[in-house]
Amino acid sequence: MSAAERAAQPLVRLRGIDKSFPGVRALDGVDLTIAPGEVHALTGENGSGKSTLAKVLAGVVQPDAGTIEIDGERCTIASPAAALKRGIVLISQELTLAPTLSVAENVYLGRLPRTRLGFVDWRAVHRHAREVLDRLDVHVDTRRPVGELSVELQQEVEIARAMSSRARLLILDEATSSLSEAATDRLLQLVKQRRDEGVAVVTISHRMPELYEVASVATVLRDGKLVDSVPLPRTPEQQLVRLMVGRELGDYYGKREIARGEVVLELDGLASNDGKLKPTSLQLRRGEILGIAGLVGSGKAELAQALGGAIPSSGSVRVAGREVSLRDPRAALAGGIGFVPDDRKRAALLPTRSVAENFSIAWGDLSRGGLLDVRTERRRVREAIDRYGVVTASSQHLITTLSGGNQQKVVLGRVFALSPDVLVLGEPTRGIDVGAKAEVYRLMQEATEAGAGVLVVSSELPELLGIADRILVFFGGEVRAEFAANGLEEEAIAHVAVSGQPLEQHAA
Amino acid sequence: MSIDQPTTDAGPATAAAAERPRAAGPEWLRRISPGRYSGVLAALLVVCVYLAITEPAFGTWDNLMNVVKSNSVMFVLALGATFVIISAGIDLSVASAMAASGMILGLTLRAGWATVPAIAVTLLFGLGLGLIMGATISWLKISFLVVTLGGLSIFQSFALVVNDGATISVFGLSGFSPIRSFVNDEVAGIPLLLLFDLALLLLAGGVLRYTRFGRALFAVGSNPEAARLNGINVGAVLMAVYGIAGLTAGVAAIVSVGRLTGASPESDPTLLLTVITAVLIGGTAYTGGEGGVFGTLIGVLFLGVVQNGLTLSGVNTFWQGMVSGLILIGAVGLEVLRRRGRLPRLRRGGPPPENPPAAPAPAAGPMA
Repeated sequence: MSAAERAAQPLVRLRGIDKSFPGVRALDGVDLTIAPGEVHALTGENGSGKSTLAKVLAGVVQPDAGTIEIDGERCTIASPAAALKRGIVLISQELTLAPTLSVAENVYLGRLPRTRLGFVDWRAVHRHAREVLDRLDVHVDTRRPVGELSVELQQEVEIARAMSSRARLLILDEATSSLSEAATDRLLQLVKQRRDEGVAVVTISHRMPELYEVASVATVLRDGKLVDSVPLPRTPEQQLVRLMVGRELGDYYGKREIARGEVVLELDGLASNDGKLKPTSLQLRRGEILGIAGLVGSGKAELAQALGGAIPSSGSVRVAGREVSLRDPRAALAGGIGFVPDDRKRAALLPTRSVAENFSIAWGDLSRGGLLDVRTERRRVREAIDRYGVVTASSQHLITTLSGGNQQKVVLGRVFALSPDVLVLGEPTRGIDVGAKAEVYRLMQEATEAGAGVLVVSSELPELLGIADRILVFFGGEVRAEFAANGLEEEAIAHVAVSGQPLEQHAA
Repeated sequence: MSIDQPTTDAGPATAAAAERPRAAGPEWLRRISPGRYSGVLAALLVVCVYLAITEPAFGTWDNLMNVVKSNSVMFVLALGATFVIISAGIDLSVASAMAASGMILGLTLRAGWATVPAIAVTLLFGLGLGLIMGATISWLKISFLVVTLGGLSIFQSFALVVNDGATISVFGLSGFSPIRSFVNDEVAGIPLLLLFDLALLLLAGGVLRYTRFGRALFAVGSNPEAARLNGINVGAVLMAVYGIAGLTAGVAAIVSVGRLTGASPESDPTLLLTVITAVLIGGTAYTGGEGGVFGTLIGVLFLGVVQNGLTLSGVNTFWQGMVSGLILIGAVGLEVLRRRGRLPRLRRGGPPPENPPAAPAPAAGPMA
């Protein structure tokens, strides 16, 4: 392999990197060597230091100790600009787009092509941006302001920007966390292409199949220390997960035998007013987990939002036989629908408030005559922290001091604790580590055991296959196929999601 | 991670606490752990000690009560502004709403109204102005900057129009004497105004900390979309917030008319900015979602004490603006740096014997 020959001289070599933040030793003597033409996976649970390591490479944070060599030469990476100058490009889960600028401008931000007179060459900007986006199979008007796009599309614009740059080292920090499977595939194809051109890639992802598809080596971090570097795909997944969490996880999704109860949720012609969800009818039983699959723009996200009262909709919805209004989130909640949005940061967290307040925000029953029952609140928060397995030193700590997985457990727990008849969960495990995922699955199982019906929208097919009893596939705003999850292949779902048509052998 | 040796942990428990799983300190420690305004509180104490030593007049009871009385108008307005700023908004109209409400009080008193109806109308007027702005902001979805800037101009103009730009003297009017007593009288040497300010402080602090509305307000300021999805009526919260600000403008108008024995259509042009400065110095974040009225009290006292100190030491009061500007940038800047992790966190277990119901006391700095 020519890549291996070129690897004789490593592109980047880190030695003994230390980094502490107030309260955390994020990195503790980490060594890392990255060769050109190599896809290097950084893995570990949330809070293990992967993102910090990526930020060190990208000049976003400065290490407290340790050395950095690039092309065998000792240097410092003083700022993101310095990193860019050296060809190090970071795509993180935190978007860095300028929302009021157009898609094309964002792709070329800071390096807009000029005409001979020194003016911006807008035609070239749009043409090049179009080319890059086409390669990612993203169909969006390059003149639209980025702020108008969905999170998924924004993420694709961010990726387009990185892909169009002259990178020598590309760092993908959870870059696929808000992408659909198909978009992820296209990104992985591009990654392989850049790898074969000799670009080094560092990738951080919680999605195992992704790592096994592109990475040739995985470095595992735990509590800021390097645990091991293992070759991929030769190392079995079980072993990799064990290195990450330091223990066997056992059965990931959990097994359950639930006798399905009566119909708890019944939709009759539910449609979103923006037209993205066409009239949809479905039923959900108590004790059942219904998975909703589909690509970005298929209407699956709108189904969850409409059920949560987050977007205006029309049609009839009955919960436990009673007609429920979805006028606003309050009405949906009062009707027995607990909704957890798919974008934790934008729509669920109260970043400046404590863990306790992030729990109790949804608990309207804590006050009588407008006065809070503080003692009951404290008790219920304490119970919820235990019950939902939130790791925090104190319920009074800021929610943002917790890892993503623990933040998600708070967001889920605040709704689960209300014991609604129906739980509508949007991407409940997005961007959280394997250990936290297993716990989220356990919580979902427990909710069904308690008699709730769970509707889970997810872009991760293995997750849907593992957790759901039944899966509906959305395409073009409507349900195109329904499967019993038992013995189902990913391919069958993916085919409907992409084409809107079932595979031959599944055709009704 | 030293759960097994808790006794050695009493020192600067800066950071390890954040890592320790579920080993929250005792409740009292959390309660007194310094909030966002601890730095300003420490600075206030230093300034007070310095003034007490260098200016013998400073420490006298009369002088301290003078500081309280002369800053009561600012304090009342700052309470309302705290609510607005927690909601991630700002109310530029408070000073002119106060001037307009003051003119209403002056007109009704001059027309021979009794004290209680005159005061009631003044308060309702202030409340009404605030509610109208709140409704415009929340239902018409017009930016609070635009609406309150418009309000500033409209209310100021209203105050000038109603009496042709002239001040209304209320001295000697029968309805005015109870108001004058209220701002000047003392009970056992303690000014009524001080007791009134304290009562308002506890009321506002209690509302923020112990009511559903208070929680909803912090949530709206922190992340309005998350608040909405959790069943909070964001529009109603915003309307209430500006209503409260308008109400405090009415209250401040009564105090102001009482102290000046007249209703002036012109308010002190720096008042609005001083009020906002006090709130921000007191640790309420202009980005919304955090802060409290105890911090605002500290902010008001700080500005008041500095002004008093400059006056006592014979320094030209023109210096005041420079001093408060530097304090503002310094106080907010320190907080920003601390949040970015550039500065070590303040130690826990310090002496501030505060019992701040309104101060959220995040015990750990955010990780990057």
